[in-house]
Amino acid sequence: MWSGLELPFALLINVVFSVIGYFLTIKLIPSFAEHFIVANLYGRDLNKKSDKKVPEALGVICGAIFLVCMFFFIPIPICKLFIGWKEPLNFDHREFIQFIGALLSICCMIFLGFADDVLNLKWRHKLTLPTVASLPLLMVYYTNISNTTIILPKPFRYIVGSEFDLGLLYYLYMGMLAVFCTNAINILSGINGLEVGQSVIICISIILHNLVELSGPVAAYHRFSLYFMMPFLGTTLGLLRFNWYPSKVFVGDTFCYFAGMTFAVVGILGHFSKTMILFFIPQVLNFLYSTPQLFRLVPCPRHRLPKFNPETGLVGMSKARFKPSEMHILGSFIIRIAEFACVVDVKRGLGEDGQYMEINNLTLNNFLLKILGPTKEQSLTIILLCIQAVCTAAAFFIRYYVSTFFYD
Amino acid sequence: LHTIMVAAEVALLINVVFSVIGYFLTIKLIPSFAEHFIVANLYGRDLNKKSDKKVPEALGVISYCTGIIYSTVIDLLLYFIDNLLYTCREFIQFIGALLSICCMIFLGFADDVLNLKWRHKLTLPTVASLPLLMVYYTNISNTTIILPKPFRYIVGSEFDLGKLLIYNVYIIGLLYYLYMGMLAVFCTNAINILSGINGLEVGQSVIICISIILHNLVELSGPVAAYHRFSLYFMMPFLGTTLGLLRFNWYPSKVFVGDTFCYFAGMTFAVVGILGHFSKTMILFFIPQVLNFLYSTPQLFRLVPCPRHRLPKFNPETGLYMEINNLTLNNFLLKILGPTKEQSLTIILLCIQAVCTAAAFFIRYYVSTFF
Repeated sequence: MWSGLELPFALLINVVFSVIGYFLTIKLIPSFAEHFIVANLYGRDLNKKSDKKVPEALGVICGAIFLVCMFFFIPIPICKLFIGWKEPLNFDHREFIQFIGALLSICCMIFLGFADDVLNLKWRHKLTLPTVASLPLLMVYYTNISNTTIILPKPFRYIVGSEFDLGLLYYLYMGMLAVFCTNAINILSGINGLEVGQSVIICISIILHNLVELSGPVAAYHRFSLYFMMPFLGTTLGLLRFNWYPSKVFVGDTFCYFAGMTFAVVGILGHFSKTMILFFIPQVLNFLYSTPQLFRLVPCPRHRLPKFNPETGLVGMSKARFKPSEMHILGSFIIRIAEFACVVDVKRGLGEDGQYMEINNLTLNNFLLKILGPTKEQSLTIILLCIQAVCTAAAFFIRYYVSTFFYD
Repeated sequence: LHTIMVAAEVALLINVVFSVIGYFLTIKLIPSFAEHFIVANLYGRDLNKKSDKKVPEALGVISYCTGIIYSTVIDLLLYFIDNLLYTCREFIQFIGALLSICCMIFLGFADDVLNLKWRHKLTLPTVASLPLLMVYYTNISNTTIILPKPFRYIVGSEFDLGKLLIYNVYIIGLLYYLYMGMLAVFCTNAINILSGINGLEVGQSVIICISIILHNLVELSGPVAAYHRFSLYFMMPFLGTTLGLLRFNWYPSKVFVGDTFCYFAGMTFAVVGILGHFSKTMILFFIPQVLNFLYSTPQLFRLVPCPRHRLPKFNPETGLYMEINNLTLNNFLLKILGPTKEQSLTIILLCIQAVCTAAAFFIRYYVSTFF
């Protein structure tokens, strides 16, 4: 691996580039915002009184600056910069290949994500595009590392042995990881600053995990992950400055694609994907809570974001109104159980002839609003981000304490 | 040694198969997505036709999408088969090249969507060349050039640009990297300004691509075969997907390619020229583009007023073109030929391109032996 003396130096340069990335993002977003509106890339903030056009898909600027920072960073972990244009002696080809392969996947993802935002592709493309963009990553993994064994927790060892080679299934898992991360961030959204905010917290969690592990046996993997996470943090914070309540720009699906793929890349090439999924606990909970609507067991409206009340200036639960007969039989069964467990707000006998029923839309936002009652939009975002942070702490607890019972 | 030769041929064959698949995939995808482009506000109107129909723009992006998928898959297969020949270095070059091309098409598409300013047409290719330069630097670091005979008496037969020390700073080495960085800008914009009539950008790119392929095939039996094989791995899928695009872009155009395509093509050519070490020969294939650029310079540098569109003027009554005295190669030909049909003009320009390719081969293989 890379020699010890240069590495803190490389990390330092990475931090400098990340800071530069932050200031570049802050400067470029306002300059290009007009172009987006002229190009028909805008939305309207459904949670505000005004009907102003808000530029959309600004995640593309964040991603482009990230790539540029990474391009300039490419030679630094590898070459002794100030000694001259000589060829370095201890050059680790493998790590370089991983680096470039990872950048290729991220670049491809940002491009496809931007194309999705511009062309408004169909819903099924949200599953295929991340898979396509993962191909370079999978390939680099195959030709470079090829390690598809997992270590099993203690209870299973008596059955199968301490290691288990997943083979092709491992590649399937890696391919799906990008799809998962991307869409997990995408569906926990709808209020100003939520997508970017949650990504920032997940990123900081990963950085903390990396820093802890830097003194461990697999430091090189975590250093690799830091080279990506820090510029990501820099550019994303720049984006958050304009996306935080009240949002001056929207990030679009481009950002969710970009963030999801970057997380998947560091998780796979840093070999800590299980820990990373632990950082996604709120997203997973949101996804599970949403499943009846996502799989159309229960009717699913076009927008499920919280509903704005112009008089009070607060947001409340948004509801889906339908006839009970429109529900799938499994859906109505699930709703009854959920109603019993008080996780869903159900009202029956509404509308003309009392034919309609109403449930709150099945997202984590609406669930919190059920508990808290109508709240200010900014407060709701902050609460959700706190939940994300608490879950990170829980993840660390599980990873470092609970897992000692299952692994050596 | 025999097994190495067989492995190389199998790899090339698989590359050809994928290029053909790329062609058919492009043909299928372009019609399916054309509507999306119009809805998304990415369309133009054909100024050279009577009708005012909307024509989807920036379809170059689809050509690329199929290209990236196939390049990636090809890469995997080549690793399997070409394992004997494919060293770590070549793999790094391959991925670095793909990264540059991917980045270029991303930035090119952003330019088409957001309508960025003119100066960005110079900065975007430079930015997208960065991975290429970085990979080159960490991998090859060979900045020696062979000088033509007249210069040899002065400096010697080889001249290492990288070792020229001036106050301990490697300035000339930097110049070579500057040249490489500019190559992408040159190729991109050279294709972009020789345009304006149906099928011209794509047509000229196809001919340049075929020229490069021919050059590569000739050199395959030479001493630097590995470089030319590397170039073929890119040029053949490019040819496949671009022919698919040409099928819809040829007169009368059902789709426009947008700046995205010029960026894509320019960067791909720059990549193979640099990593295949034949950039000087490649520039010879760009003679018509260079002539067009030189002829345009007074207008490009605003020494003479330059209107927004400089394409030949269409006469709706006769259905022919008339010259409008803008300084482009198109207009120059119309001055010589008089009013012509659009399709004929395109064909004539492509023939000129092919003739220039032949001249380039002549210069490269015959004239250069004198030097």
